Amino acid sequence: MNWELLLQAIVLGILTGGVYALMASGLTLIFGIMRVVNVAHAAMIVTAAYVSWLLYKNYNLDPIASIVIVMPVFFVAGALTQRLILRRLDGRDVTLTVLVTFGFAIILEGLQGSIWSSSFQAINTSYSLNSFEVGGIYVPLIRLISAGAALLILGALFVLLVRSNLGRAIRATTQDPRTAALVGVNVEHVTMLAFAIGVSLAAAGGPLLGMLFAFYPATHWLWIGKLLAIVVLGGMGSLTGTFVAAMILGLAEQIAVVFLPLDWAPLVFYGVLFGILVVRPRGLFGATARESL
Amino acid sequence: MGARRIVPFVALALFLILPIFVREGFYLDLLLFTFMYAAMSVGWDIMGGYAGYVSLGTAGFFGIGSYAAGLLVVHYGIPVFVSAPFIGLFAALIGAGLGWVSLRSRGTSFVIVTLTFTYVVQLLALNLRGITGGSSGLYLPLLALPAEFVILPFYYSMFALLVVAILVSLAIRRSKFGLGLIAIREEEGKADGSGVNTSLYKILAFAISVSFAGVAGALHAQYLNYMDPDLAFELIITLSVIIMSLVGGRGTVWGPVLGAFIIQPLSVYLIYLAPSGIAGQVHLVALGVVLVLVVMFLPDGIIPTFETWRAGRSKPGRASLADEQVPGVAS
Repeated sequence: MNWELLLQAIVLGILTGGVYALMASGLTLIFGIMRVVNVAHAAMIVTAAYVSWLLYKNYNLDPIASIVIVMPVFFVAGALTQRLILRRLDGRDVTLTVLVTFGFAIILEGLQGSIWSSSFQAINTSYSLNSFEVGGIYVPLIRLISAGAALLILGALFVLLVRSNLGRAIRATTQDPRTAALVGVNVEHVTMLAFAIGVSLAAAGGPLLGMLFAFYPATHWLWIGKLLAIVVLGGMGSLTGTFVAAMILGLAEQIAVVFLPLDWAPLVFYGVLFGILVVRPRGLFGATARESL
Repeated sequence: MGARRIVPFVALALFLILPIFVREGFYLDLLLFTFMYAAMSVGWDIMGGYAGYVSLGTAGFFGIGSYAAGLLVVHYGIPVFVSAPFIGLFAALIGAGLGWVSLRSRGTSFVIVTLTFTYVVQLLALNLRGITGGSSGLYLPLLALPAEFVILPFYYSMFALLVVAILVSLAIRRSKFGLGLIAIREEEGKADGSGVNTSLYKILAFAISVSFAGVAGALHAQYLNYMDPDLAFELIITLSVIIMSLVGGRGTVWGPVLGAFIIQPLSVYLIYLAPSGIAGQVHLVALGVVLVLVVMFLPDGIIPTFETWRAGRSKPGRASLADEQVPGVAS
């Protein structure tokens, strides 16, 4: 047993887990408010990664800085999508909404493939290979920066949800839309804004994904599996649960890489996903009584 | 009504004797793929239409069928036409296992499990190099037949698969089991309360539903004499099967068949028209757009919409009932 290697894995796991938490937060938020799995969530993240990659390639814009651009753009796109398409499916069979998000995922994947081909891309900044050493542990600079950026955005989300009126309205609608409507929440409007926030959180994850991992149009299938494992482990719809689950799975993945060949690492996520569904379908923090699709 | 009952028998006879007159590989190939997709779509509809549980995992079962057939041929010399029924059974067992994981309760588990399942099996096919050949794929021995006849066994076996799928779907539709599935779709809580063993019904329906994808995958693998993890688990399979069922009419026996006969030729034509380098990608985008449009504007599909329209014309009083919208709950 190589303890240094294990310690190294723990540090990497925590840093990666922070980024996973950001990517999964939007998925959880959207599920909480709409009771629908946004199948296109990872495809949206990969789309934002492509946008950030283009901005870096053409304008030399740092991927971290591009978060400031992709978030508002995706927010508007998300609001329009919810208002023009998803809202029309309100009150109909929920499976139809899931199928529409499946359609979105396919369209995004196909468009990316048509425009930028199916080959691997990555955002390689001037500092991508830099790292520093603390007590024998190597910390890659981009892992630290991206974890920092992810935590900052998650912190802002937390403040928004806890402190603002919109946040209270979102939480009330997530708990019970009828009661929220009774006490004066404009549920339709709040649902649209929450969906848009969820999409912009996906957008924020894009540049970080592009910096840390290689990506291509079909990668979103790998990522949606990882994110769903996190969201299910955390108890569908619980943001705190999602954060803890992201840390657990980030750590588990890095530690698994110490023992397993790299190819098998994704199976950690699927193993946990299927295991949780068998043993405790509500997840670690799940207490949602409402039935959904 | 009489004329409509004859149509399936006429079609049956027509497709049986068609290869005598049509010798062109292109048309037989097109029909063969249409039969294959129609069979899988009829299967999908048993779960997605009757019980109302949408599966996003058809490609996973298709791929399992492909690999099971391929490995049996390559390692044990068992021909696909012998192993295919057992492979259908094997796929059903795996379906029952997945169903056990995700269908015991109501909720989102089923979508999540079927969505991630395809990726898991694909990963296994890629990583278990020693058995599956990994990303370089698996070659199957060619059938010892003259070139002009080599397509016929596949044409007839895919057609047989479709006929079996339709018969199974008809039988379920007319049985107590089928009524139970429809009750689950309409109001699962009440179905449970009125004595339907909902978990068992759903798991059974899913197992039957995916067996057709398993057999289709097996036959397809031998037809191409080759498989690899990309080909066997193609997303297009899952997507096409869902769209076909939705277009023709979810929850009907003939809807998915009609959908397949509309969508598959159009898909082939689109791939022919699109620039060759990105034809696959253009196909994806087009199918994605069709899926969104159908859900938005034709959610019931052609057959139910047409029947509602006809009922509305002959009995004006019924139309308002059929058109009644369920008011939004959450909004």
